[in-house]
Amino acid sequence: MSKKIVAVTACIAGIAHTYMAAENLKKFAKKEGYDIKVETQGAMGVENRLSQSEIDAADVVIFAVDTNVQEPDRFEGKKTLKVGTSEVVKDGKSAIDQAIELTN
Amino acid sequence: MSNKLSDFISENNVVMNLHAKDQKDAIHQLALILQENGSVSDAEAFYQDVLHRESLTTTGIGNNIAIPHGKSASVIQSTMLFAKNTEPLEWHSLDGSKVNIIFLMAVSPKAKGDDHLRMLAKLSGKLMDDEFVDSIKSAETTTEVLRILKN
Repeated sequence: MSKKIVAVTACIAGIAHTYMAAENLKKFAKKEGYDIKVETQGAMGVENRLSQSEIDAADVVIFAVDTNVQEPDRFEGKKTLKVGTSEVVKDGKSAIDQAIELTN
Repeated sequence: MSNKLSDFISENNVVMNLHAKDQKDAIHQLALILQENGSVSDAEAFYQDVLHRESLTTTGIGNNIAIPHGKSASVIQSTMLFAKNTEPLEWHSLDGSKVNIIFLMAVSPKAKGDDHLRMLAKLSGKLMDDEFVDSIKSAETTTEVLRILKN
């Protein structure tokens, strides 16, 4: 079974990087054959919200954020990779690889 | 509900032959165009807000593309401008590349989750799509750019 990733993206203005980072994580997770769901916390509020059961079922969490994650309690005890949105925009593959490494 | 780019973008949002000499000049010229278009009430204030955002981290996302943006009280209606500069400009990009493709995004702080904001979010996501990026980079006319943006 393919590994499951859940991610949260959030940037300062909440306009561009939140959504670019989300797309790049999805793009490279798909390329490498992992399941992924990405919650965006941007100017439009929280979208594609992760349910507790989705978080519980995930092998690893990626926070691609330049600001605080909203409702961080949901992720307590999970293996978590924290990176900036720019890093993910620049190199989505590396973020996915680093996250998967945490599960090994 | 439709939130396609086509609902918001016209030839007024495309600047094919920008002749800016550097990053600041580019943002300044485009701010003036937004003011002419009636999207921004005060080009100078908007310009300063975009420069402030630029000072936090670069908006040069690599691949010769930059997405300067400002959430600014001077924005009347959230919108964007697409511009192609004749010369590549230094932008401190993530990959070190110089920039000739500029997407300037103007966001009204009052706009919470409106269609225009959603359009900008969708456009941002599309910039991670290699095919979209390749086609927008090779577009040479306003018509072509509009066709790609609206597709």
